[in-house]
Amino acid sequence: MRSGARGITIVLALALAACGGSSTTSGGASTSYQGKTIQLGAILSLTGAGGVYGPSSKKGMDLAVETINNSGGVNGAKLALDTRDDASDKIQSAQVAQTLIQQGNLLALLGPTLSNSAVAVHPLAESFKVPILAVSTTGIHIVPDCNFPKTDPCRYVFRDSLGEETAIPTNIKIYVAKAHPKTGVLLVANDDKFSRDGGTIVTNTVGQYGIQLLDTIAFSKLTADFATPVTKALQKNPDVIFITSLGGIPAKLMIEARNQGFKGQFLGGNGFNTAVVSKQAGAAGVGAESGSAWYLDNTFPSNAEFVHAYRNKYTSDPDQFAAQGYAAILILADAAKRANLTFNDVAGDRNRLRDAMETVNIQTPMGPFQFTSTHDVKQTVWVILMDGKGGFNLLATVSPS
Amino acid sequence: MTQQVLNAIFIGSIYALFAVGYTLVFGVLDVLNLAHSAVFMLGAVITYSLVALHGLPFLPAAIIAVLVCGLLGLLIEFVALRPLRRRNAPPISALISTIGLALIFVAIVEQATPGTLFGWLWQDGANSVRFPSGAVPNPTYHLGGLTVEGVRLDILMTSVVLMLVLGYVIRFTQVGRALRAVAENRRAATLLGINVDRIFASTLFVSSALGGLAGLLFGLAASDISPYIGRDQVELKGLAVIVLGGMGSIPGAVLGGYLLGLIEVFAFVQFGSNVAAGVAFAALFLMLIVRPQGLFGARLRERL
Repeated sequence: MRSGARGITIVLALALAACGGSSTTSGGASTSYQGKTIQLGAILSLTGAGGVYGPSSKKGMDLAVETINNSGGVNGAKLALDTRDDASDKIQSAQVAQTLIQQGNLLALLGPTLSNSAVAVHPLAESFKVPILAVSTTGIHIVPDCNFPKTDPCRYVFRDSLGEETAIPTNIKIYVAKAHPKTGVLLVANDDKFSRDGGTIVTNTVGQYGIQLLDTIAFSKLTADFATPVTKALQKNPDVIFITSLGGIPAKLMIEARNQGFKGQFLGGNGFNTAVVSKQAGAAGVGAESGSAWYLDNTFPSNAEFVHAYRNKYTSDPDQFAAQGYAAILILADAAKRANLTFNDVAGDRNRLRDAMETVNIQTPMGPFQFTSTHDVKQTVWVILMDGKGGFNLLATVSPS
Repeated sequence: MTQQVLNAIFIGSIYALFAVGYTLVFGVLDVLNLAHSAVFMLGAVITYSLVALHGLPFLPAAIIAVLVCGLLGLLIEFVALRPLRRRNAPPISALISTIGLALIFVAIVEQATPGTLFGWLWQDGANSVRFPSGAVPNPTYHLGGLTVEGVRLDILMTSVVLMLVLGYVIRFTQVGRALRAVAENRRAATLLGINVDRIFASTLFVSSALGGLAGLLFGLAASDISPYIGRDQVELKGLAVIVLGGMGSIPGAVLGGYLLGLIEVFAFVQFGSNVAAGVAFAALFLMLIVRPQGLFGARLRERL
């Protein structure tokens, strides 16, 4: 029964391919998609803890869709993006993904915002054979093995967001070369995958740079008052406080630590890299250092154009998450352009798109962009410092090794 | 360690202030007002909005916010509670209708961005913000290795004074006596000529004003104002506090608040965060076994 159905599908696919072949005379890579629509779906955390990041990703994506559609689309096809909120909840994220996939006509998914939710969503996309491009998840094992239950590489999961396994060690290396700290304390939210992973990376990295980790203080992301963990950290009198947490928490910890008299350095991860956190931390955050996938004031054309268009549309500055969301649409558009889509065989088109994604090589606001063989990001790391006013200053540029 | 005791007292004051309002409504109306945590959130949000978006100084903004929260209490009474009471609906219906109101309040803030219907109230969607620095003078005192922030002292004093005032009003004034009479026996109070509906409305007003105040103090102390501070930080803990203290008991809620603050902080220091939340609720469980009426609660009356 099953193989019979598959046989019919193959016959149909061959017949359709034959039709396509006979009717298309232009040939080559630039098949015309005139009058078609490339349907994409995004699962983002627009509310809840990830609500600090998701709306930025959405703005970046919307801008890219608008820009591409206004300049003739993808070989003539319009991009359409269906964005859904997962309320930063893992279960809801998986439900949203399931709903989007079952609508049946979308070619690829973007998201989800949080690594914690990716654990549920990515295996789902893999099993339905829908390409999914993560735009902000930086935890360990997002690619290539997309976590559970398998350990063999996921074929359909990609990410354009710089992993913490690259960003955190790069940041620590740059800081150590500059300031030679002796001791540190790690403050880590332990009920969230992204934060826990960041903590693990810090713990595994500090030793090789001669920093003694005096204490690891885990707390819940629902902690009401961060005075308690901060007091505990300051009793150790560390040179550096590492913070791996998300949402508004890094800002609250920095404010509390400065209020309690901490004079040392804050080092963090991707949780630092949004304007909202920099703004909330204010004066307490000045000089807080992190490795970022993107930097606002980079002047190369693919970034300058993005920043200009973003400011025009939203009258505010983009952040890293907007840049990654924008880049994700560029990546999918480039892959779609080269994928010879048929628009009458969703499963086949998804596979063609997936194959084309592996060979993406384009300019994005983050710089030149390619996927590694394990579908991860290969890009420059920009080490940045909070400026106390909601922005960042560039400290160092580290090219991919 | 002393620093941690101070931390516990500060967060305890906020729990206590929140729980006092919670327990007041339960004591008088016999319903749990689950919109209380949303009013807590709105207390912070409205003050923030008046200061950051409309340029008011902090103190008048705080006073307006507390009064608005009191009015929201009236809204809760007239929309979610009174119509059900008129119909003799069971208390569980009131519980559900207040949850509904809470969801609406949270959604209004969460969806508000510049240019939307509620853009004048909130512009940051799901984000967490804090009061502009300098909105409230916050000198830091250093006493023998201890660090005390000015705002935390303000919070402590405000909470203690208000709880004392409330205790006095309930114990020694005519209104307080009426309130206690209604709590004791609604029908008898009516027969004695007490306007029960008016007592209910004023209870909701006072309770919600206290809830809003607790919220804005929390926003000030924890540098955290977002649509979720009520739901995430005080909703369940507030319930735990009033069970610890004894349902409907105001001194119980105060003591329960400080107790929960202490338990949380010391569990965190001793055992770390994995255990901290567990310890607080283990204490609650223990209390339910050993003394089900709570620290100060009257023994549960049998209900038919």
